[in-house]
Amino acid sequence: MNLAISGLKYIEEIKNGNYTIEEFVSKTLEQIQKLDGKLHAFLSLNDKAIDQAKKLDKKIQKNEKIGACFGMPISIKDNICVKGTKTTCASKMLEDFVAPYEATVISKLKSEDAIIIGKTNMDEFAMGLTTEFSAFGPSRNPWNHDYVPGGSSGGSAVAVRALECVASLGSDTGGSVRNPASFCSVVGYKPTYGLVSRYGLISYANSIEQIGPLTRTVEDLAFILNIISGIDDKDNTTVDNKNEDYLSEIDAGVEGKKIGIIKEMIGDGADKEVVSATNNALKKFENLGAKCEEISLDMVDYSVAAYYTISATEAGSNLARYDNLRYGFDFPLEGFEFNSYISKARKNFGPEVTRRLIVGGFVPSAGFAGKYFLKALKVKSKLTAEVNEAFKKVDLLLAPTVPICPFKLGEKIDDPIALFLIDFNTVTANLTGKPAISIPFELSDGLPIGIQLLAKSMHDKALLQAAYALQNTVHLPEIQL
Amino acid sequence: MTKIGLEIHCQLTNLESKLFCTCRANYRGYEPNTNVCPICMGLPGTLPLLNQKAVEKATTIAMALNCKTPEKLAFFRKNYFYPDLPKNFQITQLNVYGPTSIGLEGKVLVDEKEIRILRIQLEEDPGRLIYEGSSEKTQITLVDYNRAGTPLVEIVTEPDFENPKQVRLFLNMLSDLLENLSVSDPELEGAIRADVNVSIQGGKRVEIKNIGSFHDLEKAIHFEITRQESLAARNIQIIQETRHWDEQRKITISARRKEEELEYRYFLEGDIPWILIDSQTLDRLKNDMPESIISKKERYISKYKIPSQVAEVLSSDKFYSDMFEQVRDETNVKDVANIITTDLMGLVDTKEKRENSKLTPQHLVELVNAIKSNKITRTAAKIALKEIVKSGKTLSDVISELDLVHVSDASELTRIIDQVLSEEIIAVEQAKTNPDTINYLIGKVMQKTKGNADPKLTLSIIQKKIQT
Amino acid sequence: MKCLILKEKIEEVAKLMRIELDDHVVYLDRVQKMIEYFDILDEADVESEKPSVQELPIKNLREDKHIPYEERIIDTLKNYKGNYIRAPKMI
Repeated sequence: MNLAISGLKYIEEIKNGNYTIEEFVSKTLEQIQKLDGKLHAFLSLNDKAIDQAKKLDKKIQKNEKIGACFGMPISIKDNICVKGTKTTCASKMLEDFVAPYEATVISKLKSEDAIIIGKTNMDEFAMGLTTEFSAFGPSRNPWNHDYVPGGSSGGSAVAVRALECVASLGSDTGGSVRNPASFCSVVGYKPTYGLVSRYGLISYANSIEQIGPLTRTVEDLAFILNIISGIDDKDNTTVDNKNEDYLSEIDAGVEGKKIGIIKEMIGDGADKEVVSATNNALKKFENLGAKCEEISLDMVDYSVAAYYTISATEAGSNLARYDNLRYGFDFPLEGFEFNSYISKARKNFGPEVTRRLIVGGFVPSAGFAGKYFLKALKVKSKLTAEVNEAFKKVDLLLAPTVPICPFKLGEKIDDPIALFLIDFNTVTANLTGKPAISIPFELSDGLPIGIQLLAKSMHDKALLQAAYALQNTVHLPEIQL
Repeated sequence: MTKIGLEIHCQLTNLESKLFCTCRANYRGYEPNTNVCPICMGLPGTLPLLNQKAVEKATTIAMALNCKTPEKLAFFRKNYFYPDLPKNFQITQLNVYGPTSIGLEGKVLVDEKEIRILRIQLEEDPGRLIYEGSSEKTQITLVDYNRAGTPLVEIVTEPDFENPKQVRLFLNMLSDLLENLSVSDPELEGAIRADVNVSIQGGKRVEIKNIGSFHDLEKAIHFEITRQESLAARNIQIIQETRHWDEQRKITISARRKEEELEYRYFLEGDIPWILIDSQTLDRLKNDMPESIISKKERYISKYKIPSQVAEVLSSDKFYSDMFEQVRDETNVKDVANIITTDLMGLVDTKEKRENSKLTPQHLVELVNAIKSNKITRTAAKIALKEIVKSGKTLSDVISELDLVHVSDASELTRIIDQVLSEEIIAVEQAKTNPDTINYLIGKVMQKTKGNADPKLTLSIIQKKIQT
Repeated sequence: MKCLILKEKIEEVAKLMRIELDDHVVYLDRVQKMIEYFDILDEADVESEKPSVQELPIKNLREDKHIPYEERIIDTLKNYKGNYIRAPKMI
């Protein structure tokens, strides 16, 4: 039994009776035991996983109907509510919070008999790019333990790469699924804004974030997307995708498609290895029958500033509810006055969250809103217009996922602007609401480089087809875990 | 020149659910924190789900106040920290990207003065706070979220009121209007709250909050005008500030101003898209709107020739006007109006009496017809009505049980009159010269017939008999 | 245009956001750097842009129906006394 298989292959094996769900889940838990002491992908594990696997195996034996996932072990980023489990957002502020209800995406996965194997590590409240801002310790890149796995969905990417689960759900606000996917050589996806319900996702910047899967293959991603996408009456920002099937015709190819390489994203800020990988990707697409051209998006140069201004403002509001009165951590309130109590309680936010909250209180405030927050909103509008214009000329946009190669833990943690710029290539998709994917493409010095594709809103199917086509040209060496 | 403006919060108590979740809109009478859910408790990961009917009802209010209603509605976050605010922000409405709140630039006439409505917005009510122990020794605040998320319509007027009387008339009109539209029950405790701002002689505006009742509102305005006038008389500057109404001492006192609390960092609520209100929906809302009180009154006066005073009473109370509309036909309009505003009024003048009343429109129709056809007298009708309201029995049952048949049969009446005259020999003698004594004799006949004798016929028979 | 963020302003904002800062200097430096980076927005040619928004027709909104939440939520939360949530005193 091999853990290094795709989800679809796993389902086939179970259907063919080559092994049981219990056996696979058991082996997965052993893998976690073996590796996670070092990798620290997980914050908590599901102690009922084996029982759930056994129950599903019984159903198969009795020839009863079973969901499409066939007990596939899936991990969930710890900012998504799984009923009855600790959902901490990797923060001391929520260290005792047990979710009393379930996120829509979790209900959907469970109704297809997926097994939630555990909750994964992340940057605190999803604010970060390296998972180093987790209050419970960083995760490590499986390719090289001294290196960051990316963030904020670092734990998810590590777990998928290290065979500690078959797939994972993360969240992507400025690149938080695509960035760690690129650093860990897994497939990471941010759907069109509104394609996947955010009900049960603990908000960071609610106008631009989406839940996105991380998988080992593009087909697996399409499979998961089929389950979790669709209009949800618990989330008014979801849109009707008319039950589109993302897996069918995934091999349609890119013959005749026009692909635009975003000039600003392979400029001076990009490592030469990354630029070279990008050019290779373009060549591969041309060999597959696509036509490539250069696209310029002026607003990209302001997109990082706009992103951090907007996300800090929204975070300042979304995190206001953490006053430790109804949920949070143990801190008795006797002897305190209201404002001093909550100010003390909120010291339990980590340093990066604290900094972002201060920024988020500053940039929309009177006297500064015009210069920062309102300006950022205008940049967002104009960038959206530029991208829409570009999509009149091309079918897809291409860029490296991250402008730089993976780096060591601790290397950039003290340089806020250097950290910001890691998002340079990914925030555009969030600000404009477009679907975007990162596909593992090359290794450089033993560390992964991912290629990113974007498509028009609601053209997720076409995006996955292009990603699939590129994936099939890629042959990365085996990882030594 | 005194200028007074109002900021009124009306709960939409007639809705089934809260503004952003499916908990009850009318939270009164339930154990604390039992009318709650993850959304209105502000639990992490929850999202607001806007109530369609709340938008419709609020739009109807805007229309009734002659406001412009925009095609697109937007919601904003007002960020501040308070224990009754589950998310530590309130979802409300602003008009920073063009007109996006429920209603703007409306106007109403109050006592012939035009009062302009600046804007109307839809927003959520916070929870309720209870302080444990007396306020000095209070250590803990208890929070009940039952009310959190209740739909509120905020109505802000321009400072067009000139005196407290106009304010009172406006608020009465507004209460009647809200009841007439079936959006809110103004009688419910806390359903309508108002803050007021006052300025005199073109000076600074002072806002007064924390006024518990409309009665106190008038007092507060009077006090504040007096306070400002006395300051002005001594050439003391009136500071622009917020003051609180002290219910016990009946004065306004300065509320401590905290600079940073005025910083709300308003921005668009990302979890609620802009709501498109199409013209078909607007037309439907307009057509479904019940007739306005003013229009009803005018119709009653001009079309049915009902006296103005009677029309005023009928039109301003939905209970009466509904009853009137259901009972009246071409022949009995005035009689129905009359019986409602004289006999019925005293029997159903409280909410409790109305809830317990067993009277149906059918009863009233029969009653009016019985009076017209002389089956019973007006006096008897009053007695019958009281019984019907109490028991709901049919008119014929009541008539026979209480012996209310109009005695208009001449022979029967003659027999009874003869009886009376034989018992009242002295009065009969006096009646020959003193007409007042005849009334006494009529009274005796009424007694014997329990008020059912036809008065005209009784009088003429008695007169004839006395002459002989 | 460079904007000097003063220590007092940071303290003010921290108070606004209800976060007690032990050592403001630690944050001052990094927050200042972050906000200075945002000055790049001054160069963006975007004056006339209107917000790009998602729209929803009124008929797609939730029906006005009372559906009680089946579980007793207050039992799952901390800090409660009887039926109330407890909060510190208000001044």
